[in-house]
Amino acid sequence: MDEFFQQLINALVLGGIYALIAVGYTMVYGIIQLINFAHGEVFMLGAYFAFTLVTAFHLPFWAAVPISMILCAGFGLLMDYVAYRPIRNAPRLSALITAIGVSIALQNIARIIWGAKPRPFPSDSLPSFMRQLGQNETPEIYFSLLGIEFTQANISFSENVSIAYLDFFIILLAIILMVALNRLVTLTKIGKAMRACAQSRIAANLMGINTNRVIAVTFAIGSFLGAIAGVMVGVREYIEPTMGYYKGVAAFAAAVLGGIGNITGAMFGGLLIGFAEVFGAGYIPYGYGSGYRIAIAYIVMIIVILIRPTGLFGKSTGHRA
Amino acid sequence: MRKWLIGLLLIPIVFVLGCDSGNQVRVAVAGPFTGNAAAFGEMIKRGAELKAKEINEAGGINGRQLKLLFGDDTGTEKEAKAVATRFATDRRVLAVVGHFNSTCSIAGKPIYKENGIVELSPGSTNVDVCQGSDWTFRNLYRDDFQGAFIAKYIKTYLTEYKTVGVIFENDDYGRGLRDGFLAEAEKIDLSVVADTAYDRDTTDYTAQLTNIKAENPDMLLISGLYGQAGLIAKQARNLGITAPFFGADGIDSPEFIIIAEDAANGTYLSTPFTFRAGGDEAANVAKAFEAEFGVPPDTWAALTYDAMGMIAEAIEKTYNSDAPLAENRKAIRDHLAGLDTPEEGYTGITGLTYFDKNGDTVNKPAYVKIVKDGEFTMAENQLLDSE
Repeated sequence: MDEFFQQLINALVLGGIYALIAVGYTMVYGIIQLINFAHGEVFMLGAYFAFTLVTAFHLPFWAAVPISMILCAGFGLLMDYVAYRPIRNAPRLSALITAIGVSIALQNIARIIWGAKPRPFPSDSLPSFMRQLGQNETPEIYFSLLGIEFTQANISFSENVSIAYLDFFIILLAIILMVALNRLVTLTKIGKAMRACAQSRIAANLMGINTNRVIAVTFAIGSFLGAIAGVMVGVREYIEPTMGYYKGVAAFAAAVLGGIGNITGAMFGGLLIGFAEVFGAGYIPYGYGSGYRIAIAYIVMIIVILIRPTGLFGKSTGHRA
Repeated sequence: MRKWLIGLLLIPIVFVLGCDSGNQVRVAVAGPFTGNAAAFGEMIKRGAELKAKEINEAGGINGRQLKLLFGDDTGTEKEAKAVATRFATDRRVLAVVGHFNSTCSIAGKPIYKENGIVELSPGSTNVDVCQGSDWTFRNLYRDDFQGAFIAKYIKTYLTEYKTVGVIFENDDYGRGLRDGFLAEAEKIDLSVVADTAYDRDTTDYTAQLTNIKAENPDMLLISGLYGQAGLIAKQARNLGITAPFFGADGIDSPEFIIIAEDAANGTYLSTPFTFRAGGDEAANVAKAFEAEFGVPPDTWAALTYDAMGMIAEAIEKTYNSDAPLAENRKAIRDHLAGLDTPEEGYTGITGLTYFDKNGDTVNKPAYVKIVKDGEFTMAENQLLDSE
């Protein structure tokens, strides 16, 4: 049973990361029906920006993360302005090809600037609670609450079920950002404009909404969220030029699974892909099975799409954008 | 007017062809210069460059300058096939040093065989790499030897570790090494309590590691490359797995320690060569390497240095500038195939290399290193009486 709860935590963390990235895909798609393949690269750049700020400019981690997010939001604006706005009214295929081109270009630019080798965040630059343990360190227990121990290294529910502070933080962050985004889209004026654009860009324009501005804001928000996911993955794993590609493909699958264009769908899609991957790898008998965890996640996606072609939260339910 | 234009266009072509027949010989180097084995690729490139530089400074091969061409296979099967096709059909290339990843060497093998050009790998250890082709060679041991070696080492010297868990990358290298280890473990009664795979495109291994933790092994064998292995080490510690790690030559890169950080400490690994075990000549090469590139060479730089030396020697002994390309390529193969006894073998900085009838090297020992305080050091106990 311990094992099951630990896997549940593993799945939540991975799902949260996917959800944060998937939102970026789905928001842009909801408004301009463009699959922005370069979103995975924005995620990668978010990690590299924070890494560079910490290592080359010696900024503290807490300052580097927001700066990196703002840089990425700006980068999202730039990407829209340079690559997508000029072909806004061209056939959708042109925009799709452009997106793939931007993705490949950014990957290679990152490779030229930062090199092909994977780079971890230097652990001495991280806040102490994100630090990992060495081999024979026994974590010191800070305090315990209702049988849950808060130790130096993690939050430990029982001997074999624990969650690292970083992972806990990722889940928390995913929830907070998702709720905030949901509020933004439903309650604010710009959110209303985004929903209007999602329904019909032409009609929204006729009503006096500056659609180009709305689209730009959408890119900025998506990139902002992608960047924080990038930093979190960079700290948890490592940073490399192709990291956006692999995580991006999985997140895109999550967006499709949830019903592309739908934010709630992207959140649940992300979680479902995370669960499929972790439980697929965890409960398939030992040996080769767990090597195919990504395939398992995609099989789940295909099954859902076959049953519900519009995804879990297809267009009829909920709102787009 | 038209004829004049065509004539003008022909000039550069004639010029390019003219260069080829000049006094150069070309050897290709194929390796993972980008991708997730890029740290190895970099060392392979530098090892080859250093040897070529030394040869050229000493007057070249029979007065001809040795020119290297590099092909990036990114460590993937698809790119390896493209690189192999490019080199095998290049009318200027005499032989290929490469590939590194076993998957790549195997992918290139039929292409090299069909076009009749030597593939000499300085890094592929999967059992099947040299099988079924007279054109593929390697100058290091195979994974059935390495896997068995690791099992024997644990059984002989690490007796406090009774049970072992295995996590392996699902590619030719990771699987082959794991198979070799499991076979020997069964023979010598070493208990394997967990055995699970991972895919190199994923970077989250918590699901697999949670399963392994449930079996509570005393030691964890990571059969894969340094990048993923580094992450596995880190994530295992975060999940509370305290067992030490054992890796193989795939994690023999400083990058492993950079990625795993504190989690790397206490990790054992087997490797086909280490400069600490090399002689004076190896020490001199290490010094020259560091002077040239600013970093010390690793195992793969040394093996590539020797592979390049073997090819250069083969060219020196057999090259005939009047003969057609196919004949020159075949002469190199025949020369390498002739190095089949210890007396005939090639002595380089990594020791004596000679081939069996497959093109495998079976005489080289394995060394064990251990990570202490963020550095690789030789393990106290070595198990050198191979076989």
